[in-house]
Amino acid sequence: MIQIPYYPGCTLKNKASNFETSALAAARALGLELVELPRWNCCGAVFSLSSDDLMRHIAPTNIFLRVQEMNRDHLVEDEYRLVTFCSMCFNVLRRTNQRLRESLEDRNKINDFSYLETETYQGRVEIVHLLELLRSMGWDKIQERVHKPLTGLKVAPYYGCMLLRPKDVGIDDPERPTIQEELLRSLGAEPVDFPLKLRCCGSYQTVPDKDLVANLAYDILSRAQKAGAEAITTSCPLCAFNLDFRQKEIQEKYPMFLPIPVFYFSQLMAIAFGLPQEVFGLAGHYANPRTLLATKGYLQATSPLEGGEG
Amino acid sequence: MGYPEYMNESLQMVEASRPRRVELSKQGLQNILKPLSAEGRHKVLSENHPDYQPDARKSIRVGINRGESMTGQVVDVLESYSRLPQGFRLEPLDYETDVLVIGGGGAGCMAANWARRGGAKVIISTKLRLGDANSMMSQGGMQAAINPHDSPLFHYLDAMGGGHFDNKPELMQVLTSEAPYIAKHLEELGVMWDRTPDGNLSTQAGGGGSRRRMLSARDYTGAEIMRVLRDEVRNFPEDILLLEYFPAVELLKDREGKVAGAVLFNMETGEYAVIKSKVVILTTGGFGRLHIKDFPTTNHYGATMDGVVMAYRAGAQLLHMDSVQFHPTGAIYPPQIFGFLITEKIRGMGGQPLNAKGELFVFPLEPRDVEASEYIQECKKGMGVPTPDGKVGVWLDSPIVEILHGQGIIERAFPAMFRQYRRFDIDIRKQPMLVYPTLHYQNGGVETDPNTHTNLPGLLVAGEVSGGVHGRNRLMGNSVLDYNVFGRRAGIEAARMAKETSSPQGLNLEHVASFESELKEAGVTRDRFAPVLLPEYRNISALEKHRQDFDPFLPAGL
Amino acid sequence: MNEPEKMDLITIYILSRQYHVPAGSTILTALEYAGFKLKKGVGCREGFCGACASLYRLQGDYKLHGGLGCATVVQPEMQIVQLPYTPAPKAIYHLEELEPVPEVFTHLYPELYRCLSCNTCTKICPQDLQVMDYIQAAVRGDLEQAADLSFDCIQCGLCSARCPAEITQFNVALLARRLVGRYLAKKGKYVEDRIKEVEASKFTAGYQELQDLSPEDLKKRYFERELNNLIF
Repeated sequence: MIQIPYYPGCTLKNKASNFETSALAAARALGLELVELPRWNCCGAVFSLSSDDLMRHIAPTNIFLRVQEMNRDHLVEDEYRLVTFCSMCFNVLRRTNQRLRESLEDRNKINDFSYLETETYQGRVEIVHLLELLRSMGWDKIQERVHKPLTGLKVAPYYGCMLLRPKDVGIDDPERPTIQEELLRSLGAEPVDFPLKLRCCGSYQTVPDKDLVANLAYDILSRAQKAGAEAITTSCPLCAFNLDFRQKEIQEKYPMFLPIPVFYFSQLMAIAFGLPQEVFGLAGHYANPRTLLATKGYLQATSPLEGGEG
Repeated sequence: MGYPEYMNESLQMVEASRPRRVELSKQGLQNILKPLSAEGRHKVLSENHPDYQPDARKSIRVGINRGESMTGQVVDVLESYSRLPQGFRLEPLDYETDVLVIGGGGAGCMAANWARRGGAKVIISTKLRLGDANSMMSQGGMQAAINPHDSPLFHYLDAMGGGHFDNKPELMQVLTSEAPYIAKHLEELGVMWDRTPDGNLSTQAGGGGSRRRMLSARDYTGAEIMRVLRDEVRNFPEDILLLEYFPAVELLKDREGKVAGAVLFNMETGEYAVIKSKVVILTTGGFGRLHIKDFPTTNHYGATMDGVVMAYRAGAQLLHMDSVQFHPTGAIYPPQIFGFLITEKIRGMGGQPLNAKGELFVFPLEPRDVEASEYIQECKKGMGVPTPDGKVGVWLDSPIVEILHGQGIIERAFPAMFRQYRRFDIDIRKQPMLVYPTLHYQNGGVETDPNTHTNLPGLLVAGEVSGGVHGRNRLMGNSVLDYNVFGRRAGIEAARMAKETSSPQGLNLEHVASFESELKEAGVTRDRFAPVLLPEYRNISALEKHRQDFDPFLPAGL
Repeated sequence: MNEPEKMDLITIYILSRQYHVPAGSTILTALEYAGFKLKKGVGCREGFCGACASLYRLQGDYKLHGGLGCATVVQPEMQIVQLPYTPAPKAIYHLEELEPVPEVFTHLYPELYRCLSCNTCTKICPQDLQVMDYIQAAVRGDLEQAADLSFDCIQCGLCSARCPAEITQFNVALLARRLVGRYLAKKGKYVEDRIKEVEASKFTAGYQELQDLSPEDLKKRYFERELNNLIF
């Protein structure tokens, strides 16, 4: 087992716990033990990135220091990569890290302020998104681990914003990304390309303006369906919420809309690897994923009422 | 800071004797160092306990208990004049309510919460902040006979014996039988009791106890309960009015002679307030800051016996005011923590008192008065350890607790003590503490009954201010239990009484006038005033350099 | 309390005025030696109540320190002020109506989520608690960790006074602890069983028997009773 420090982020411990469960299990199945930082704080989400407010960079810096502490305490050996799954956390951590690496002045200020810490941060940690880690292992290795290829499953990978933008922190080409498609192919599924895979889902606007998000989600999902998709994948709990749970509002506005399940990419990995059903995390969905999966033979057929409210 | 070098020799003897003492402890100390018999107790008490010294007590000359022998300083404070200026006018009325609770500690908050539940409107008057009380400071635990092999009857017998059988049996019956309910009630309010792995409440041994039944919340037990009770009071601002920094200085009666309110005094601004109330609950706590016999104290700043003074002036019967509890283990080094409480829970978990040679000289879990007397005796024999500032004490071996229960137990079960000593560079996991008895608890007080009534209609009491529950010596963990059990009963009773009482008429201070005539007849001059309110710790000689007649409570201290 | 004539006096500053007080004094006893009758900013005097929260600076050090007046020994050239009270929002709630879920903070203390993880609260805490860590536990919804790490909090208010996000850490912690104590702590059966026995009057006869004993017999019963602190 290779041990790599892992940063969960707040949402993965609550609403998006199924993302964590499925991803940790899938990673373990590939020989990767992702070790949670023993002590961690909220990364600050996107507010952390206000450039005129250096104080907000302290939160991510604390997290980088915890990676150093894990090494110091031999919880991992000489491993300064920090893996994360949530696109938001990934974006915040990588952008802050970049800023600190580039500005000695900012680094010094933060280190000086955080005098309760036992070490300083000089840019040693490398932030890695799980998809990047998988790609670096080689898609053939992923394919070797598949026991139940997702043959005939047409999946539209959705990227949203945080994985790819700004360009210098993104995990793939910001205009024509292919990383999720490559993963899906290695799992035996059929990736479906569609024009709106990079369109913003509406993000936090889902709180004050459900309608806006419902419209955006409707555009994205119906386009994917028109291209032949039976399911969507994503890497972000907020995108997952907007595309999945807002289907309730979509159905109210557009009665002809057919529900389409939204998965974290890790869930499809867990299914394709033939892992125990408990780690699929199918209880955390709105649009019911079970019917589709059962029809395709990846699941035992169960009551359509289970596993989703839609 | 740490211990001074000259103590090293004694410390080394403590370390040297420790391995053997660990073995003795595992075998059960009561087999080697037997607890004293009745005769043994009497001997060590009469020869050493401060209460038994010839000048400890005197006869009170005024009031309903006239002629009785009480603790000297208590008599001095009771034989005093009112703080109210002559000709004080009770008009206009400032507040009117159903239930007035005087004292905002554990008993006061319990009483207020339960009075509110009974439908009463409540006012709480406190001298400092809500929760500034001895209740906040108790460390080790609350007794409750919840274990299968324990019984409220064993608890009763332990407490009666500890109290020299002077306890009123009906009060002790209520205390011990309601303890399990209180444990559960506090849990429902959100108190985080220590628990065993199977979820039952964790229990430890206590002085004078025949079974382990001290419930605790680390060594912040009092604080944990007080924080919760106080929070609960603050959750009902429409029903409970808080008057903080506003102590009562006199009780009021109505024209029928019922207690019907109080006069409050703001020590900073000099303002007075008159409150009319259908029922008054007195929960003013103890008297440690009177520094009886010049002992230091574990009590909070405001523990000056105010409630007893006001009640006595109004004609309340007092009980057992000749009895003072000294906690055996008060810190005596370093000087900054002189008199501070070190919880009995240390001994409950195997901590051992030792003389300068590192020897066990007493069964560690005698009732407090006996235990304190033993330490005093040992020091009188020259077997104590002197401090640089002229005090003397015995060691309390705490490292042995870490050995008996496993590494980490002291930080886990005694974070307050660990922190207190760490501030002065003493690590109690590795070094013992230096202790001597310290003034701790008012065993007696205003006499009460199971429904918290006193001999004065309209006046209820609960908590340390009351007398009769604990006899002449309280056991560890029974005071926390006392304020919960009787605080609750006072609240329930007060709400019930308030429903049947109409608004009092004819508020007056006649009882004060008649008390003061008694004082005059007894030859007491008008130069002593009470309630004391706060102890005097200022460098008075410097302040009185240019003048006399210094009044500490004039606004701005001018 | 009288002080001996000859003693080691050091210089300190109270509200910027110079005073000479005995070395080894705590902030509280130094204030009293200087002539202040403390009617606020003092409580238990032993480190349990948080009333004596104080701020101070030391010579040659830019840092602002927090400490308890009863437990902080004054040093030469120390500059001191007391902070007897920090205005703080206390949400009104009824425990029996709440559920032990993270959403309680969203409703009752929404400013919690403004936490910057800057550690300013931890730096000023006179109890040396990991304040930022317990706040972050609350942010994440981990009530048990928030309760455990905040347990020794005496609610002195210094954290809240200094927090740039204007959180009232100690009230958030109090709510977390009460929820844990009531809902999340594992519960055994002993207490309830004993309460049922009391309610069924199982002990009434026993009390009566003890109360009917003569004083000599009661004394005898007491001194002959079995002491066993090992069984449960």
